[in-house]
Amino acid sequence: MTELKVVGKALPRIDGPEKVTGRTVYAADMQLPGMLHAKVLRCPYPHALIKRIDTSKAKAYPGVVAVVTADDLPPADRDPSVRSHAVLVEREAIFEGQAVAAVAAETPYIAEEALDLIEVEYEELPAVLDPEEAIKPDAPPTRRPLDEIDVSEIEGHVTVDISTADDAEAHRRSPNISNRLHFVRGNVEKGFEEADIIVEGRFDSKMAHQAYLEPQACVAHYDATGKLTIWTPTQGQFYQRNEIARILGLPHEKINLVGTEVGGGFGAKVAPLIQPLTALLSMKTGRPVKLVLTRREDLMNSVPAPRGIVEGKIGATKDGRLTTFKARIIFDSGAFPAGTPVGATMMIAACYKFDHLDVEGIEVLTNKCGAGAYRAPGMPEVTFAIEQLVDEVCRQGGFDPIELRKKNVCREGDLMPNGRPWPKIGLYECLEALENSELWRTRHQTKNGGKPRGVGVAIGAWPGGMQPASALVKMNENGTFKVVVGSNDISGVNTSFTMIAAEELGVPMHMVTTVTADTDTAPYGGLAAGSKTLYSGGKSVQAAAQDARRQILAIASRELDANPEDLVIEDGVVFVPGTDKKITFQRIAALTMGFGSRYAPVVGRGGEVIRNQAPGTTAQAVEIELDPETGNVTVTRAAVAQDVGKAINRLSIIGQMEGGVTQCLGMGLTEELIFDERGKMRNPVFLDYRLLTALDVPRIETLIVEVPSPEGPFGARIAGEPSIIAGSAAIANALRDATGLRFYEAPMTPERVLRTLRKAGTAVSHPVVLGEAAL
Amino acid sequence: MRRFGYLAPKSVSEAVSVLAEHAAVAKVIAGGTDLVVQMKDGVRRPEVVIDITGIDELRLLEERDDGLHLGALVRMGEIETHPLIIEKYPILVDSAKLVGSKQVRNLATIAGNTCNASPGADTPPALIALDAQVHVLGPRGPRVVPIDRFFVGPGRTVLEPGELVTKFVLRKAAPNEGAYYERHTPRKELDIAVVGVGAWVRLNGETIEDARIGLAAVYPTPLRATEAEAALRGKPFGQAALDAAALAAVAQARPISDVRGSADFRRWLIDVLVRRAVTNAVARARGGGPRAGETH
Amino acid sequence: MLKERVGHATVTIRCVVNGVERTVTTVPNRTALELIREDLALTGAKEGCGTGDCGACTIIVDGRPVNGCLLLAPMLDGKTVLTVEGVARGGKLHPVQQTMVEMGGLQCGFCTPGFVVTAVNFLEHNLNPTEEEVRVAIAGNLCRCTGYSKIVDAILEAAKRMREGEGR
Repeated sequence: MTELKVVGKALPRIDGPEKVTGRTVYAADMQLPGMLHAKVLRCPYPHALIKRIDTSKAKAYPGVVAVVTADDLPPADRDPSVRSHAVLVEREAIFEGQAVAAVAAETPYIAEEALDLIEVEYEELPAVLDPEEAIKPDAPPTRRPLDEIDVSEIEGHVTVDISTADDAEAHRRSPNISNRLHFVRGNVEKGFEEADIIVEGRFDSKMAHQAYLEPQACVAHYDATGKLTIWTPTQGQFYQRNEIARILGLPHEKINLVGTEVGGGFGAKVAPLIQPLTALLSMKTGRPVKLVLTRREDLMNSVPAPRGIVEGKIGATKDGRLTTFKARIIFDSGAFPAGTPVGATMMIAACYKFDHLDVEGIEVLTNKCGAGAYRAPGMPEVTFAIEQLVDEVCRQGGFDPIELRKKNVCREGDLMPNGRPWPKIGLYECLEALENSELWRTRHQTKNGGKPRGVGVAIGAWPGGMQPASALVKMNENGTFKVVVGSNDISGVNTSFTMIAAEELGVPMHMVTTVTADTDTAPYGGLAAGSKTLYSGGKSVQAAAQDARRQILAIASRELDANPEDLVIEDGVVFVPGTDKKITFQRIAALTMGFGSRYAPVVGRGGEVIRNQAPGTTAQAVEIELDPETGNVTVTRAAVAQDVGKAINRLSIIGQMEGGVTQCLGMGLTEELIFDERGKMRNPVFLDYRLLTALDVPRIETLIVEVPSPEGPFGARIAGEPSIIAGSAAIANALRDATGLRFYEAPMTPERVLRTLRKAGTAVSHPVVLGEAAL
Repeated sequence: MRRFGYLAPKSVSEAVSVLAEHAAVAKVIAGGTDLVVQMKDGVRRPEVVIDITGIDELRLLEERDDGLHLGALVRMGEIETHPLIIEKYPILVDSAKLVGSKQVRNLATIAGNTCNASPGADTPPALIALDAQVHVLGPRGPRVVPIDRFFVGPGRTVLEPGELVTKFVLRKAAPNEGAYYERHTPRKELDIAVVGVGAWVRLNGETIEDARIGLAAVYPTPLRATEAEAALRGKPFGQAALDAAALAAVAQARPISDVRGSADFRRWLIDVLVRRAVTNAVARARGGGPRAGETH
Repeated sequence: MLKERVGHATVTIRCVVNGVERTVTTVPNRTALELIREDLALTGAKEGCGTGDCGACTIIVDGRPVNGCLLLAPMLDGKTVLTVEGVARGGKLHPVQQTMVEMGGLQCGFCTPGFVVTAVNFLEHNLNPTEEEVRVAIAGNLCRCTGYSKIVDAILEAAKRMREGEGR
């Protein structure tokens, strides 16, 4: 390959100017003629039966056009175990805030007033809330028994072989267990017997929310021909279309899904959530309907990350070899299965070459909002456990945390917990990069103003997904190009597609634009999830551009009377070096699209199936400062190394890395959905669900590692998710460094940190304060 | 938001008259940063909203012989940037600067932060520390209420139906006096006090001649920690005085456990923050201490 | 239901938005943000939380950044408003907009209009800011995608360009 001209640069997003001027249209910005506004009546209890609903007063309210309940749902093949399919409560509400009825009215204010007029009689049922209680065989059920659990969505995020060990369960299962996996290798009992260092602990990462800034929003229009058009921010418009078809009993070809700009998704805008309900209201009224959730509704009713409780135990030799790992992971997925345990159970121990392994992952349902996918689903939660255990081995054995990891991490050919060999990965190289980071080289050298400081390290890996994708590269009449894809751009990937196409076509960036077309017109594209959009889709764009290039060269060779292999393309001109034979793309366009043209229009087509994963890996370090009187933790510096195979667009890669790390720092410090003893969410507002601000996030040192993948475009591998994996574990390890103590619960809020300090007697306290009895 | 009628009087007298007319069903709006959220949530459903922001006489901000006069409509954003306040009343900057965000502070007013009567509001402890007198006008004429007697319960004040706060008069800054406000929050911005402590002291040499302490988020109302003040009064500044004040403040508080912290954590924080606030107030009284608004 | 004596069922609001005088008659129980987005069709400012906790709705009212979601629509009467749509003039991006694009100060874009108007207003008062001052200035604006550093860099670079005369 000749030297790259576009790929590998740091280029601004092509959609930037629209966004900074406020002109990008998000779903909530849309107004259509005759559009109605929807509001939703929600169940105030975590678990209740609906005895009676009376919507007559609301229906009669001036300005109200329709009121719907579950009775209005068309017959269809809905699966009640799937969150998306639970459009409206049919009889049993299983989490607080579940949609019971919805109103479409001339204004949102009228719709809101009409909600007050809907009468519902509930019978409150006991709520199942504690995941560890809920897995017991005699636990009361979260809901009526479920049959098959649908994991189709999660398979889009992570492609995993579920080669679970064969272990017929002796005990009867709790009705609330929705999924269970078990990976075994070697003999852990023997492993622990032979270990010199054994460390164990119970780690608990609370429910965190994706907290995208754009609340869920949808506009739907069901027209007189029976065609349903949906405008909504989605990470997977084809998947959404197919699901909505199933949920509402409509044929695929009668639905056009137009993916609008996604104001942040992070996994939560993959599956339909409010779209079927909005569509139902449009079907009832024949008018366009808009539904936009308030932040409160969004925090209570969308699909956050599950809580992850890990009981883990690790064994190592005195010369620093990690040999044995045993863990039981309980994921509290709330009212609907999330599929999260699939990836995370396999990946918890995947970074290391353990001889003996026994990992059990259990997903349990409770009466809380149903969990879903959040950027590398489950990984921050399980990494919080294993990376603290590994760190503790380092502490107790006196090993350098990077050296020990370098010695133990998997490389190409080492086995993953599912028994398959790792493909080529750059985990070791990430550790090398971290070792050379400014943060690591100057650790413990910065001033601390008297407050304790510490540095912690953690690593992680994520296999990423695979899904076929296709793309078109069309030459326009003036010799420029349009790339058409069916995947939704959630990460600036259309800019990277543009770069790939420009590189392959031999034209400058400004001659190529990329557009995500709607499901009626776009070539098929998979989910923008599992970090695979560029890995799979980019390959298709590359193939489509190569196809277009071949067509261009074929035309040029005939026009210039030259062999195609003698032709060179540069800056949109085809020429034969050393001669004056040349033809511009503009000329070629004219020869392919005019009356009486001699050649067919240039339309490159690419459809690719990538069959091997290109896992992403990361190594991270944070430096923290602790206020020992209040328990407040400030992250003062952070560094992240990530293997991305090949950075197609360095600016975009750095953006992903900084953003992912920031989200996990939030999971480590402040972010948590809190439920009271009755199962009601206590903090469905951004005041109390605390995203970090510009004053709480430090500068992040980004170290791009490039160990090329064999199949990805230009060697690229997955990139979006790995950066979120390790931050909360790194904070905990930094706190261990600063205090000598372990912190077992995330987020490590001031109160939790202080409680740990007080239990250990190391909180800075004064003679008069409370005794320890209060703990 | 549920529907309501909207009135925008242009003078205090007009405001008092329309407020009196609709007293039972009206809410006064100033900055709206609390009220609008409450109305959106349906927690408050006034039939009439009386917008007083067009009343210029409520924007008063000047130092007179008897102290600093702060009109009801003075915004947090004005307090934190006003040269006179920065120089002479830095505790007001400390507290105002912590409210919400810059965008919120450009709306939120001193009267709103007070009349909303949130136990966790940041400016009431500072107003307590500076012995603010609340000037109220109502159908039966004007009256003055000391700030520590202004609050009745969560969201409740001594204001009678039809009464309006017009201004606050704060004790004039004097030599040998200093005041400071500090709170605890997990984030540095966009947050609300888990515990807040405002402290004012007057020194006579090494002795704390007088002290006032206000606490946020540890009691059903903003709390004047009279026992802690007594523990400081007449004592030499030092570890013993701080110990006694902290203990007294903890004893007088009645914190609850909520989503922002347990009662136990709050008691611990009172202890820590009373010490910090008093220490920094003393430092300011001695002519040093943190700059205005430097609280993290 | 509202009693008649209480006053107007609707209010008429006159204000200047992005340099243009606008008059809107509406019900009072709406926010300034809703009025601007729905009636004036200026949808740049976003509702991210509706409670003043994210800054996506930031608009500049009488020279000060405020949460449009907390301001009642009738309170816009007599005010001068700047929204993100009024920042670029004559088809030329403001230096803040230009650097946000160039330096990766935006990703999903939903928070971006709020950051842009906050930063533009901030630089009007301080054209030589430190990094810390920039961070304080934007601390009322949440961003979920970037981790803030690229936004901070963009604002610092915009200040530099404006000092060097590239601004207006």
